[in-house]
Amino acid sequence: MATMKFLCDTKRCIECNGCVTACKNENDSALEWGIQRRRVVTINDGQPGEASISVACMHCTDAPCQAVCPANCFYKTEDGLTLHNKDTCIGCGYCLYACPFGAPQFPKKGAFGSRGKMDKCTFCAGGPEENHSDAERQKYGSNRIAEGKLPMCAELCATKSLLAGDAEIISSIYRERVAYRGSKNAIWG
Amino acid sequence: MNNWFKQIGLTLVLMFSAIGLAQAGSSQGAEQPVATDGQIWSQLKAGATGVTTSHGEFHNQPINTYDLRVLELRSDLLAPALTAALFGMIIIFVLFIKVNGISKLHGGFSGKLVYRWSKFDVSIHWLGAIPCLLLILTGLTLLAGRFFFQPYIGEGLWAGFVYAAKQVHDFMAIPFMLGWALMTTLWAKNQLPKMYDLKWMMVVGGYINFGPFKGKHPDAGFANAGEKLWFWAFAVFGLVISASGMLLLFPNLFEPSRTLSLIALVLHSVSAIIITAFSIVHIFMATVMSEGGMECMVSGYCDETWASQHHNLWFDEIKENGTLKYKD
Ligand code: HEM
Ligand code: SF4
Ligand code: SF4
Ligand code: SF4
Repeated sequence: MATMKFLCDTKRCIECNGCVTACKNENDSALEWGIQRRRVVTINDGQPGEASISVACMHCTDAPCQAVCPANCFYKTEDGLTLHNKDTCIGCGYCLYACPFGAPQFPKKGAFGSRGKMDKCTFCAGGPEENHSDAERQKYGSNRIAEGKLPMCAELCATKSLLAGDAEIISSIYRERVAYRGSKNAIWG
Repeated sequence: MNNWFKQIGLTLVLMFSAIGLAQAGSSQGAEQPVATDGQIWSQLKAGATGVTTSHGEFHNQPINTYDLRVLELRSDLLAPALTAALFGMIIIFVLFIKVNGISKLHGGFSGKLVYRWSKFDVSIHWLGAIPCLLLILTGLTLLAGRFFFQPYIGEGLWAGFVYAAKQVHDFMAIPFMLGWALMTTLWAKNQLPKMYDLKWMMVVGGYINFGPFKGKHPDAGFANAGEKLWFWAFAVFGLVISASGMLLLFPNLFEPSRTLSLIALVLHSVSAIIITAFSIVHIFMATVMSEGGMECMVSGYCDETWASQHHNLWFDEIKENGTLKYKD
């Protein structure tokens, strides 16, 4: 099976926030007020060396969130995605502490340890409920993967900075780009 | 372990340009200061923050790096250790009592009850102790339940169980801390170490019923050396567990960083292991090992025989200074 990954080409990202909007729109049914699965961060804003990058869950292979969750909410799909079960989530926040990318987010801000059910990027692959069921839409948003489509955020990226798909394929696209950019001695990996 | 780094590394590498591309941008970059991919990468890896339109927690920082070994420390070391501290200690103690027998009162109960604890002392003991027991059980569920419990029960039951564990843990924390604070401050003066405590330790309090230890009755004041050890362990690790617990319980108040929260989790678990192991010993000593011991924390009085057998120096002292008070 494929191993699905994201890749963001910082040389192309123009901080338009199209991916953020696309995600919000696509997964609106599941997103409680204030929750944003994807965000664009610009470092060195307005200075030399400015760079923007779009970040969401990276669907880590040995996912720290999965290792740390006391309720054992997380599971891997055959596409290598890291998804979670909101019915088991106790809102403890451990996954947010452990995630290197700040992907897990909560509807409430930890007053007396209650944060509500964790939400994060699903790679537009829904959750453990039946594909395209109401329950899945309410809790996890869209399920494009089951329809054979790729994530909405990457599909709508105007500059094709954000790539989503099989790791092999997106890295070969990226490699090609770098070759065109004219660095003869670029070595991959 | 290495695998962890490799996999995360791979993800990161996929996210940006590879380090090998570091020179890519710099060849034409002479006229304008463009950051190379390598520079961007190293800034992000160092935890650079930036601007974002998102109001999500920690969203202005793309990558938070920390030592991923804490994850394995927690699942491979702390979780089994806490399980062992609870169940292992119970097994050891049951076997020990089977082999060794308990500490009987010589000559049986006198029937005369000596004043030892005030009603207030007894209440703060239970104010701390009952939540402590619940915190141990629910804490164990949070740390290790997914390994030793979840595989044997259904999904719905597990979800309810772990949720209940979290709720009980969160609410029991408050009375526990109250009890801890009152006990440590009000009882400390009777718990200061004395020279005779060393001798008590040498003969393990006289509780061993065989070999060279048999029939020994070492000196002890109001508290014996074992109780003092428990008291100070409870004071110190109770403080650590309360402080780390507060960080986890009120993230909105203290706003700890993610790494600090993970460190708090580790300190919390380490303290839990120590408190749990001591608690099991303490409970066994009070309920089965030392005949007549439990009465102290029920009525606040102890049998006269118990007082002279286990706390001879204290008993002599109250006899002498006239504070000895019998139950009427
Ligand atoms: C005898 C006392 C206590 C024991 C044995 C204990 C034990 C534990 C254990 C083993 C964990 C799981 C750690 C992990 O998963 O890595 C935990 C979690 C936690 N503990 Fe405690 N703890 C105690 C007291 C407290 C106190 C006093 C507080 C609060 C001030 C507290 C607050 C928490 C919180 C907030 C969590 C995180 C899970 C949650 O949100 O419920 N604990 N505890
Ligand atoms: S939530 Fe974080 S740790 Fe978990 S898979 Fe996504 S990026 Fe990795
Ligand atoms: S918040 Fe939910 S998903 Fe995250 S670690 Fe806690 S129980 Fe697991
Ligand atoms: S993959 Fe789907 S859920 Fe994840 S950030 Fe993109 S649009 Fe949002």
